[in-house]
Amino acid sequence: MNKGSGLQQGLGLAFRLGTEMVVTTMIGVLMGYAIDHFFNTRPWGILAGVIFGGAAGCLRVYRTAMGLQVDEDKNNGDQTPNGEGL
Amino acid sequence: MKENPLHHFELHPLVHLNLMGIDISLNKGIFIMWVGLALVFGMFMLIRQKGVRLVPTKLQSVAEMALLFLRGLVDEFIGKEERKFFPFVASLFFFILSCNVIGLFPGSYTLTSQLVVTGTFALFIFLMTLLIGFGRHGLRFFGILLPAGIPKILIPLMIPIEIISMLARPFSLAVRLFANMTAGHTILAVLFGMTLSLPWFIGVLPFGFTIAINGLELMVAFIQAYIFTTLTCFYIGDVIKMH
Repeated sequence: MNKGSGLQQGLGLAFRLGTEMVVTTMIGVLMGYAIDHFFNTRPWGILAGVIFGGAAGCLRVYRTAMGLQVDEDKNNGDQTPNGEGL
Repeated sequence: MKENPLHHFELHPLVHLNLMGIDISLNKGIFIMWVGLALVFGMFMLIRQKGVRLVPTKLQSVAEMALLFLRGLVDEFIGKEERKFFPFVASLFFFILSCNVIGLFPGSYTLTSQLVVTGTFALFIFLMTLLIGFGRHGLRFFGILLPAGIPKILIPLMIPIEIISMLARPFSLAVRLFANMTAGHTILAVLFGMTLSLPWFIGVLPFGFTIAINGLELMVAFIQAYIFTTLTCFYIGDVIKMH
């Protein structure tokens, strides 16, 4: 049960990043849909929701990747990565 | 015989119970949850009963390794002075792990393939992080919605993006665990269905795959429990440290 190994962390990251973007975009769409439903602003809410959700998804993945980058540059174990979700 | 590969995810009440008009019937999932709890509890009680030794037994050394690893996670993401979260994180990890692994045994049920279970975990963790955040920082906690050092002109754009990315945390926690467990078990069901419906000399191929994929699923069970706990630690640490 060697959980802290590099393979485990890499696989964990791979499993994570995929869902991250999809789910974040979905949240944006759902929020846009809810705004449309309650304020009668159909199509604009969902449109803005897709754009903001997609942007948020990209930002999350970008932050995770940047956190890894920082971690690798410093190349020591005690450095806590500051990326989103890591 | 037509067999739906998603059929084994359906839950039907086994014991019908009714408490003041509320349906609290017990189904397979609930029994499996009890088994999972009993397994974790039993393992640690067994270690305690045998006595914690200086030269650890096999079971004790496995438990020690896992607990040390989890304490490392708490120290890294939440902070050494916040060890009071360690029991929560450890319980979460062992419970999710036991639920994932129990599901791999034929005839049992994968509790974590129910979105309502993973969703409850994620929602609880999300509400907990909000409470910790507001408790520690008061109204300054809203500052988490503004990343440090962004130009003023971007603030109206960043706030909705940050709100969405904050709300996405519990959803991605819940959906990731649920989707990975459901997908793996659906693949197993489909492959096994092929084994049964094909002639034996072709059917032996998908049967071999089911064995290989079962091994993969065992790894996924560990990794998903690991990811869930890591992210929980990260989210708790994030609201305590505030970037």
